[in-house]
Amino acid sequence: MLDYLPPLNEHNLPYPDTIHPIVVHFVIAMVLFAFLCDFIGVFTKNTRLYEVSWWNLFFATVAIFIAVMFGQVEAGLAEPYAAVQTTLNLHTVIGWSLSAVLAGMTAWRFVLRTKDPQTLPVAYLSVSLVLVGVVCLQTYLGDQLVWMYGLHTVPVVEAIREGAL
Amino acid sequence: MDSDLLKQLGDSLGANGLPYPLPVHPNLVHITLGLFIIGIAFDIAGVLFPLEKSILKFLSLTAVRSNFFDVGWYNVLAAAIVTFATVAFGFYEMLLATPDPKVTSAWGLNAMETMLWHGVGGVALLALMVGMAVWRGFQRFAWRKDMIRQVQWSYIMAGLAIFFLMYVHGTLGAQLAAEFGVHNTADRLLRMGENPNLYFQQ
Repeated sequence: MLDYLPPLNEHNLPYPDTIHPIVVHFVIAMVLFAFLCDFIGVFTKNTRLYEVSWWNLFFATVAIFIAVMFGQVEAGLAEPYAAVQTTLNLHTVIGWSLSAVLAGMTAWRFVLRTKDPQTLPVAYLSVSLVLVGVVCLQTYLGDQLVWMYGLHTVPVVEAIREGAL
Repeated sequence: MDSDLLKQLGDSLGANGLPYPLPVHPNLVHITLGLFIIGIAFDIAGVLFPLEKSILKFLSLTAVRSNFFDVGWYNVLAAAIVTFATVAFGFYEMLLATPDPKVTSAWGLNAMETMLWHGVGGVALLALMVGMAVWRGFQRFAWRKDMIRQVQWSYIMAGLAIFFLMYVHGTLGAQLAAEFGVHNTADRLLRMGENPNLYFQQ
């Protein structure tokens, strides 16, 4: 079955560079910015920012599913060495959960927006603060996978192939 | 940076060559790219709004055209602001970089060439993004204030050209991380002949 796939390069990928870290640009930026817009909107009473927040959140939700798909492919090709496995497992579990939580938040926001686009309940704002926290934690774990453990970087892939790691 | 010069900092640098455990620049890059690209995308959605009406109606999504232009404006504005920090951290971390001098990237460049292009490109992109935010502001608050279509086609085209520059620039940055091993703990340990697996399990 593996014969149908393109050959793996020196990053152990069938395409030039990792795609997951590119797709997560959109999730991270839009979730954080959606929260910032709500926050500023509440304090300045500029309800136009609520719409900016909603559209950012909506597309962050579309993006996270693409991020999970590429994340799963690239995690599958990562061949993590023993020290990485706990972090990679945690990143995977939080990633899948986050896609569900984010979809739930967007659905909640959709209902709130349909009822009254001019106000935001405190409960929603509190939960979105928690969401921001989880996104930051998830980003931190992803950072560790790339920057500490070096998954899909040329020297680490080389060491794994040589059996040194 | 030359390793003799880096010695002047004593032992304040960790295994990744930075005084803190994870590089900051790549995280700010998420915000810069995510916000700018989505900002331009929403302006495109605003310009092409008549074509999307049937899709939005099919999805029962209420959307007002001017709100798409709001997203276009605020996202690009925020991207321009945050990019000052992105570039500042980029230069700080690049001054502390000790890439592998023996490596040539997939684009045939060595570490020094890649860092120089990525540094110059970063400043150029910052200037372009600030210019775009200012241009966008003029369209929103002066030139096209009362028009239904708030952005000019030339602005959209400039945005798409910047996307291409971002792709080239981002790939150079990715090569610094994943090929030259800049500030990458495991890569640096391997270059020093250490085993990252044993190091991290200690």
